[in-house]
Amino acid sequence: MKKIALAVTVVLISQAVLAQHNSFTISYPIAFPMGNLHDYISATSFRGFNIEFNRRQKPNLEFGLETGWQTFYQREESKTYTSGTASISGIQYRYTNIAPILAGVKFYKPSGKTEPYLGVGLGVMYVNRSTDFGLYRITTEVWPFTLRPEAGVLFHFQPGVSGMLGVKYYAAFNTDDLDGQSYLSINIGVVLSH
Amino acid sequence: MRSKFYQWVVLVALFALISCYPKGAEFAEDLDLVLTNYNQEFDFKAKHTYSIPDSVIKITGDVFSDPDGDHRPSFVDPVYANAILTAINQNMTSHGWTRVSKNSNPDVVILASAMTTTNIYYYYDWWYWSWWYPSGCYCYGWYYPGYYPPYYVSGYRSGTVLVQMVDRSAIVPSGGNVPVEWTAVFNGLAEGSTTSITARIGTAINQAFSQSPYLKIN
Repeated sequence: MKKIALAVTVVLISQAVLAQHNSFTISYPIAFPMGNLHDYISATSFRGFNIEFNRRQKPNLEFGLETGWQTFYQREESKTYTSGTASISGIQYRYTNIAPILAGVKFYKPSGKTEPYLGVGLGVMYVNRSTDFGLYRITTEVWPFTLRPEAGVLFHFQPGVSGMLGVKYYAAFNTDDLDGQSYLSINIGVVLSH
Repeated sequence: MRSKFYQWVVLVALFALISCYPKGAEFAEDLDLVLTNYNQEFDFKAKHTYSIPDSVIKITGDVFSDPDGDHRPSFVDPVYANAILTAINQNMTSHGWTRVSKNSNPDVVILASAMTTTNIYYYYDWWYWSWWYPSGCYCYGWYYPGYYPPYYVSGYRSGTVLVQMVDRSAIVPSGGNVPVEWTAVFNGLAEGSTTSITARIGTAINQAFSQSPYLKIN
């Protein structure tokens, strides 16, 4: 039910944004964990989506909002973890779910059918790290401050429809409960605009 | 017309992506945990003999209740008890220990218990063992010198095997709590066939010994 509500909301918002002659981007990210996140889960994530609402202020300047969801997952085969005199062995199922909420700016270099861009985003990231160990789950939730530089290219197929290919680097800062989480995503998507 | 098409694209893409949520554990053994802890002040290498009862008791609560008044607790089904005791004895032998009778002044005593409650009773009543070890000890329960056993609660039908190694010389008539010098806990889902559960118990006890190298005295 939640999934249906989310999908319907996205569609409604996208319609509203299009009505204001702005653009709506939906993209599929393939994400590579880095730094502390990589130490915890090294597997590439193929589970996620990313959406953006942007308003082009000038031909080469755009402001927008971004959110999405990325799920990192890894099964860690049975290992022994020792702390002091205690040792515990078992299989761990590690999950990190991340939802960025960012405001961003993009600088374009308009050049006909393709428009390369550079951008930067600032905001927060919802991070939920859960470790299933035996019958027990250890969960940490944080909302770190996040910086997200990006680069990419728009490909104009026809009026109102473009494709996009980009790279985004999400760097979330340390919090008291969790060290900084970072990952790089390669996004391929569709941009609908009026 | 075109915008309807894009709406469907968005909907299908979202469903496709959201439905890829990772699964996690698939089999009961994927959830098995083996925990060990010990008193690092205890000189295991100076000990050589151990004694162990031929039964595994079933712990039903922290206080020993004895409704039929025979001073005996409930026992675990012999099929599971044998799996537990055989694995312990094989590992103790391979680690250099010699099993002796409880009347032959063993250096340590190993007590194996099991529980299928959602709690793990690390601090259960000593009187669970009075049927086997009539020491005249006015003991209350247990303590864990220099370490804390973890306290877990879960909502699943979990099963736990608790193996405690106690210093026999500490079981004295004057009482107090009995120090547990080594603890091994095997916790998992209490589900599956007898064969599968006994195999998991054997694997878990082997793991408990392999992650406790200080028990090796030979």
